[in-house]
Amino acid sequence: MIEGILVEGLIYSILALGVFVSFRVLDFPDLTVEGSFPAGAAAGAMVASALNLSPNHFAKALAVPAGMLAGFLAGGAAGFATAAVYHRLKVPALLAGIVTMTGFYSINLRILGGKPNLPLITNNPMLNLARTFSGGLLPPDLSLLVACVLVALLIFGVLDLFFHTEIGIAMGALGDNENAVIQAGIQPGNLRTWGIMLANALPGLSGAMAAAYQGFADVNLGQGVVAAGLATVMLGELVVRSQFISVQLLRVIVGSIIFRALMYAARSWGYLAGITPNDLRLLTALLIIASVAVSRYGRKRR
Amino acid sequence: MRPIIRLVAAVGLVGLLFSCAPKNAKIVGVAKFVSHPALDAIEKGIVDELKASKPDYKIDLQNANADMNTAAQIAQRFKDEKVAVAVGIATPTAQALANQIKDRPVIYSAVTDPVAAGLVASMDKGGPNITGTSDMTPVKEQLDLLRALKKDIKRIGNIYASGEANSVTIAGIVKKYCQDNGLEYVESTITNSSEAKQALLSIAGRIDGLYLGNDNTVFSALSGIAEVALEKKIPVVTADPSSAETIPVLAAMGYDYYKMGVATGKIVVRVLNGEKTENIPAYLPTDSADMSFVLNLDTAKKIGIKVDQSIIDQAKVVISDGQLTRK
Repeated sequence: MIEGILVEGLIYSILALGVFVSFRVLDFPDLTVEGSFPAGAAAGAMVASALNLSPNHFAKALAVPAGMLAGFLAGGAAGFATAAVYHRLKVPALLAGIVTMTGFYSINLRILGGKPNLPLITNNPMLNLARTFSGGLLPPDLSLLVACVLVALLIFGVLDLFFHTEIGIAMGALGDNENAVIQAGIQPGNLRTWGIMLANALPGLSGAMAAAYQGFADVNLGQGVVAAGLATVMLGELVVRSQFISVQLLRVIVGSIIFRALMYAARSWGYLAGITPNDLRLLTALLIIASVAVSRYGRKRR
Repeated sequence: MRPIIRLVAAVGLVGLLFSCAPKNAKIVGVAKFVSHPALDAIEKGIVDELKASKPDYKIDLQNANADMNTAAQIAQRFKDEKVAVAVGIATPTAQALANQIKDRPVIYSAVTDPVAAGLVASMDKGGPNITGTSDMTPVKEQLDLLRALKKDIKRIGNIYASGEANSVTIAGIVKKYCQDNGLEYVESTITNSSEAKQALLSIAGRIDGLYLGNDNTVFSALSGIAEVALEKKIPVVTADPSSAETIPVLAAMGYDYYKMGVATGKIVVRVLNGEKTENIPAYLPTDSADMSFVLNLDTAKKIGIKVDQSIIDQAKVVISDGQLTRK
């Protein structure tokens, strides 16, 4: 069971990293994720499963990386749409996200070929590779866990490096002080667009991996993911206080694992306290409230 | 260093919390996608059958609460519990179970098209560790009924949710039926229940009759649809007899979900007794004794349809002058 929680926590931590980038780094409350996460699931599943059936060995070998890239790009496209609506029409961030999320329901149906659900059970290259890449050295479940750790660490590493580059530091400053960015001679609009794209490309990648893990891509996969991502980010902040971007990124991953563990615990033993699965959404909301309350209270005392 | 230590401590604590899991092999895990009258009836059928035939087994009832991302979590739980058999009610839960659980039997229920859902390769036999029951509704019989009720019908309308895989499958069958019988097919898709009434209004002028398959989203808004249909004098035939007893649609025909649950429970018992899933074909309800047929003569009168006595004789539930009679 611990492998299951870790695997889920790691897969959805990539989603949460996207939420972290938009809500915390850019200070841009972005709801696009409810559209970009299923977009990544749809694009990733379509590309990976189609290439996997290809008779060409070269194309077949590309199924997994191409599927992950497709998920990443599809999410990024959703982010671009939000950024464009936000900048060109000067509408509030929340509205821009809602517009994109709404539109992407139809786009995701198109990506899936007009069907709401694409099964991957018998044709799931991503999950198969993750389960078997160690060549029998590890049992399939452990192998899957190692694969997820590797992907999460890779994403963490790349993001960490990025936020230490000049452009990454500028992006970090954008959410706190836009004028400082302008004075440094950087166009804040373009920078924010790239940031919003990144903040949705990550959920897209997460969606592609989640679809493989679940065994299907579905247009309804996005429901409630923003709240789950926010709860994750805030749980991480509750556990570890830090000003360092490296630790901030890492704690998102930890928060994700804790969030999944709490949900699992509520599902498994919640009945002892009278909690049914129907109450899990309320629990998510209360977790967010509690995290905010605790950090506010802590800050006042300091 | 302090943040790192706290990180490690947090992860360790979580690990400790979960290292003490209950281990019991005499469990049947049942996961349904969402609480819904039809799915609840199936769950009850499974539970009743198991309690009667296998009283020594514990049943773990789980509900994904319409959240697709928790379906895999339930599958993980069943794996950890080492359930003897995992049952998935409705397509997403069945898919998540089938994807995660490869070393023990998975039984699906209420999956309209198990082949399209990727669960089995064909309806004639089960997969290596999977079989189950389909809730494919008798679309042809329902459309035949609609044509028998309104003889001059030329254009059939269909409203369904574009997000429900089952409904998209059924829509394909309705479309083909219309083509084969020289009828015009008019569809309108919705994304949530609040759009259903408007969807009917938008096609009302272009249809002579309305068909509704077993679509959860549409059925949440059935009273609104029935109201518009009465006003526009459109005959409505649905796949859900239970709602037709209270909501004034013209007629409804479909299989009893509780009995489908019992049939699913029987398959679980067969597998528990050691039968191989490969040898159990997908169960499709076909027995007309299990089929319910509700006919509302009050609605017929209001929309100006005269129902033949032969059709009234076939109905199992007739609503006339506000009175409901079961035969």
